[in-house]
Amino acid sequence: MPDPLSVLTSMSITLDQITKRYQNTPVVNDVSLEVGDGEFFVLLGASGSGKSTLLRAIAGLTGVDHGRISLHGRDVTQVSPRKREVGFVFQNYALFKHMSVADNIEFALRVRGVKSAERRARRQELLKLVALEGMDDRLPTQLSGGQQQRVAVARALAHKPQVLLMDEPFGALDAKIREELRRTIREVQRELKISTILVTHDQEEAFALADRIGVMNLGRLLEVGRPEELYARPATRFVATFLGAANLLLARQTAQGIRVGATPVTTSLDKLDQRAELRREHEVVAMLRPEEIALAEHRDSLNSIYLGAGKVETIGFTGAFERLRVRMLEADKATLSADADEDNLAILDVTRTQHEQRLLPLTVGQSVAVGVRRIHVLPTPLSSYSVYATTAVAVETLKQHPLLVDLATRMKTRIITHVEPHLGQVVPTKSQAPLAGVAVIAAGSNAVTQLEWLLQRGTCEVLILPEQYVPITRVLIHWTGEEVRRATLSVAASVLRHVPAEATYLNILPETESEASKPAGMRELLDARSEAQAVHGLEMRTELHYGDTVPLLQRELSQQNSHMLILGVIDHADVKQRFDALLQQSANCPVLLVFRADDSSSVGKRV
Amino acid sequence: MSGGPSQQLLSELASRPGGNSWADKLIRWVFISLSVMFLAALLISPLMIVLTSAFAKGASIYLKSFVDEDTFAAIRLTLTIALIVVPLNTLFGIAAAWAIAKFEFRGKSILITAIDLPIAVSPVISGLIYILLFGSQGWFGLWLQAHDISVIFALPGMLLATMFVTFPYVARELIPLMQQLGNDEEEAAITMGAGGLMTFIRVTLPKIRWGLIYGMILTNARAMGEFGAVSVVSGHIRGLTNTMPLHIEILYNEYNYVGAFAVASLLMVLAIITLLIKTVIEWRGLRG
Repeated sequence: MPDPLSVLTSMSITLDQITKRYQNTPVVNDVSLEVGDGEFFVLLGASGSGKSTLLRAIAGLTGVDHGRISLHGRDVTQVSPRKREVGFVFQNYALFKHMSVADNIEFALRVRGVKSAERRARRQELLKLVALEGMDDRLPTQLSGGQQQRVAVARALAHKPQVLLMDEPFGALDAKIREELRRTIREVQRELKISTILVTHDQEEAFALADRIGVMNLGRLLEVGRPEELYARPATRFVATFLGAANLLLARQTAQGIRVGATPVTTSLDKLDQRAELRREHEVVAMLRPEEIALAEHRDSLNSIYLGAGKVETIGFTGAFERLRVRMLEADKATLSADADEDNLAILDVTRTQHEQRLLPLTVGQSVAVGVRRIHVLPTPLSSYSVYATTAVAVETLKQHPLLVDLATRMKTRIITHVEPHLGQVVPTKSQAPLAGVAVIAAGSNAVTQLEWLLQRGTCEVLILPEQYVPITRVLIHWTGEEVRRATLSVAASVLRHVPAEATYLNILPETESEASKPAGMRELLDARSEAQAVHGLEMRTELHYGDTVPLLQRELSQQNSHMLILGVIDHADVKQRFDALLQQSANCPVLLVFRADDSSSVGKRV
Repeated sequence: MSGGPSQQLLSELASRPGGNSWADKLIRWVFISLSVMFLAALLISPLMIVLTSAFAKGASIYLKSFVDEDTFAAIRLTLTIALIVVPLNTLFGIAAAWAIAKFEFRGKSILITAIDLPIAVSPVISGLIYILLFGSQGWFGLWLQAHDISVIFALPGMLLATMFVTFPYVARELIPLMQQLGNDEEEAAITMGAGGLMTFIRVTLPKIRWGLIYGMILTNARAMGEFGAVSVVSGHIRGLTNTMPLHIEILYNEYNYVGAFAVASLLMVLAIITLLIKTVIEWRGLRG
């Protein structure tokens, strides 16, 4: 961590937990961000992700419901947009059509009462900067789109703002002009060293311009990083698939390394997460970039790791590259991707260079050996969903649950169904293979016994779904011990990336020790918040309560049925004894139970 | 506000394949002649009658009919009313359009309906409203009498009636325009440090000026030509509360056809002048 003071002084834009709601739905959800001096930051997201709202909030054109905005150390949250000293460039140029180019550029200077000679000098300087010299007397309507946007950039810079904000500035331009203007803007930004935030939905544009990229989805800022970093090692499914194409496969991580289907893939491919809790065998999400997949005629001629046999489905030509879709031939329930067909056969996107095409020309329908050069394992703890119920009908109903469907589609993952007639009745032996992914059961009187049955079979996350479903607006997070904090936070972060809800962590202390334990309780809150932010990129509120955990949680949940609870538990017995009542009675809210046996000591011995 | 589709669009339509068939030519001819016939029957012929009747007894008689104190007073009153009503309604119209186009508030739809009310209500009724309010038997009648203020059968009543009738024109013209033009330019001005008034004068006003001028011209035309509402509240006192349209009626009823049509032709000339001003402004606006 760098020295916090030096960070403060070199940051020109600081956003602290910005939230903006429209009709109670957060469009910008707890966004914190720091943009350095002279940095070119690109906010990337699909339309409706809240990126434009966030940019307008920085300029003051939109108010915020929560949070603080500072520009160069000055808190401007309550400052009117005309006093914020920002330059703003709009998608549709927003030039004053009745004014000449010169008058447009000089507008901000005229407002400030700058003398005419000085105005003219500044105007000449700016026109030179955007390569429009001599266009002073033209009207905006006499200029092309690209030229108009250049004027808009010059105009936004006239009053020497501290910060330049651009909202899809290339959106209305065609590809050639777009590239040219992109280069100009990058040069101007470098020359003036002005801190810039540009909003776009175009990942190519983001890569070309950004020092750092922030990806937004559903109002949340999911990940921030340098372009090449985000591309190679995304932490979330959304970023993996939004920044370029990605094949997401469900793999198993074992003590020896990653296994995709039946094929062991060595760990040397990418740095593995060596945390204790991840060392036991479990399901993970592996990302394979299309250009990292190699195709060969036979397994032997493949000089990368063999994934399996496949068949070429389609071939497309895109200029520099060839795009193929290859269907994997081995049906293996453990190797499912979002793109799998009904027979559970994964379909991979593959791109090949001209060179590779010449070495091995392929035709549709041809069988190939599929290999992979590099695998990146996403650090998300939620890989897939397994629905459990005693009858086939119940399984189908549960599978159609709106929350589950929402989560699965947004996570681009699969829902596997299991009909277990003896669910919750027979105590199984522990030798059975561990279950994959998050188990899903229905709320009700049987939920607790079913839950126990699942936990004994080694399930770590169980989602309990109520029959009635109201879209979730708030997620409550609580854990019973520090040992399960990391796991709970990581699950919560993963869920919250796919649900447009606000997150609150509840720390509950016994009532008797309220005064004495307050500092410790506050520290726990702060620790939890900073860990959520630093490790999982999750922004959440925190609340400290005194009293008994179960009644308190019950009360919080009963306030509204649009709440969801994510509960971290360490002790097996806890589930039955303490949370029995909670799970029975709060049947209107979805509950996601995160269970981690307190075995850190035993793991330590084993390794 | 310059009318019609662009030259480009017209030439594109004309260049479409199959555009020169005899059916197409026939349809074009029918449409053009229908329009011209309607105009001739409903607009040009009455205007011609006005002019011919006015000059029926020669130009000297025509000119003499203006040398009459009452006629003079009517002309003066009409111009006074227009001069007061047009600026006031321009102001109100901008305010109402601004409120509707830029803000969300409770009762917005009620305000929109209220603006349209004068168009829907018969002008006679709008005049009667003021009689009911300010007449000697009306709600405020006694109070007004006690304070020696005359509204009905005097200039204030006529102003009120005219304003009521002409209120919608500026607002109606501006609301769709402002909604369509959006807020981007104003927002740009604000981020550059401009205040509310400056943004309005330098950015919004130039943006909406054609719509505004058009609305003002409509307001002016209606203010000068209004008969029904003004007739109810004016009391037809010659030389005092007679506007030009009312005066024309009186002259006509007195069988002074030349006088009636002479004043009518003057009203027509005023209308033509308004249209000319509009055209000149538009033409200069287009030239930059």
